[in-house]
Amino acid sequence: MKRTTIGIIIVAVLIVLYGFATYNSLVTLNVNADTQWKQVETQYQRRFDLIPNLVESVKGVMKQEQTVFTALAEARTHYAGAATPDAKARAAGEVESALGRLLVITENYPQLKSSDTVQTLMSQIEGTENRISVERSRFNQTVQAYNLKVMRIPSSIIASIFGFKTRAYFEAAKGAENAPQVKF
Amino acid sequence: MKFKLATLLSFAVLATSLSVSAYTSPGKPQGFVNDFAHVLSPQSKTQIEQRLSALRATTTIEVAVVTVSSLGDETIESYAVALFKEWGIGQKGKDNGVLFLVAPIERKVRIEVGYGLEGVLTDAQSYGIIQKIVLPAFRNNDFDKGIVDGTDAIVSVVKSEADYSSPVRGASTASTNSVNGNIVWVVFFLAAFLFRIMGSSKSWWLGGVLGGLVGIGIGIFFGFLFAGIIATVLLVPFGLLIDYIVSKGSGGRGGPGFWGGFGEGSSGSGGFGGFGGGSSGGGGSSGSW
Repeated sequence: MKRTTIGIIIVAVLIVLYGFATYNSLVTLNVNADTQWKQVETQYQRRFDLIPNLVESVKGVMKQEQTVFTALAEARTHYAGAATPDAKARAAGEVESALGRLLVITENYPQLKSSDTVQTLMSQIEGTENRISVERSRFNQTVQAYNLKVMRIPSSIIASIFGFKTRAYFEAAKGAENAPQVKF
Repeated sequence: MKFKLATLLSFAVLATSLSVSAYTSPGKPQGFVNDFAHVLSPQSKTQIEQRLSALRATTTIEVAVVTVSSLGDETIESYAVALFKEWGIGQKGKDNGVLFLVAPIERKVRIEVGYGLEGVLTDAQSYGIIQKIVLPAFRNNDFDKGIVDGTDAIVSVVKSEADYSSPVRGASTASTNSVNGNIVWVVFFLAAFLFRIMGSSKSWWLGGVLGGLVGIGIGIFFGFLFAGIIATVLLVPFGLLIDYIVSKGSGGRGGPGFWGGFGEGSSGSGGFGGFGGGSSGGGGSSGSW
């Protein structure tokens, strides 16, 4: 009789310990995903800081292309007003497509292609786009690690007790699968 | 059986870490210069190797020059990020590494810059180095000149800025290092202290109990049940064994004479010795010819 009590106590202690360990790793993975999302936002911010410079340097030559500048300005405003990560991702997609269009149009202006300022800006934008895609794919990896923990048995039991829910992956906006190509 | 489980676990960890992308590794780094595509002359190779080794000795900055015969299905950008991550170019925490990657078959070149050097070797500067120095030589099929001059240009940019590098950054990394050092010392003294107690106490079971507690601690700390159970299972007999040894050896007096058996780990003798574990996030520039 005493032996069974001891057995039950040991099992109970192990279960509680397992609960602690799982809870802690869920918290860690969740915070990792938050941190990685901040990395993505840092790169978005960097992109926004570059855009006005680019616009300034090409505006004079591209007088008849007002629509794309307007679209770019609107998308920036949307991003600034976005509060949730979801809304931010959507607004960032808009910026992306407007920027892509601007870059394509720029191709048609030989005098811009040969300008040093424009070339420098283009290389910076290109680098930023690449950084964004790197940080985004890392974000998806951290989300994957977290989601697996939330969904898999037995950690899913602990996750449901404490209300951990799966997170959304970053998905590229429709039509934005191709990063804007910059070629000179 | 336990051994088998551990082997299985390590394989599983390996498999998941590899299955992230279609990237195939070119192999282990043999030095700062890794000419997997065999386009460099031996003289240029030695010349660059010496320069990069000197750069690391004076600034801790690590520049890796790599040529590959194939990028597989990857773009040069994603290949560079994956290779940078695999090798860990630059110092851990400082992330002061640069990868100069050349794919002669695909006719692509990239300079991938570690997080810590993004402000020093900017995208625009990488772009300039590639367009004005590297590509003209590559277009004449002169890989030697393109790679030597390109590397020199990278070195001169990162070196000139290393002199201005803010002391704050250096100080912060130094403090994290000393924290790691402190943890090692704390563990060391704690172990010595526990050995002393186990040695002086006459009980034979104390070591086993301590081993079990440490195992449970490990389980909670790493948030991984199986690690905890394995650690507990292994550490209980280990603790008993240690208790037995120190109780016998010290004769109740206690003392750290036991430590004589542990030698000082010898460090590398000025050789390459691998990269420092730095990381990058897609900064830099690419080009093709």
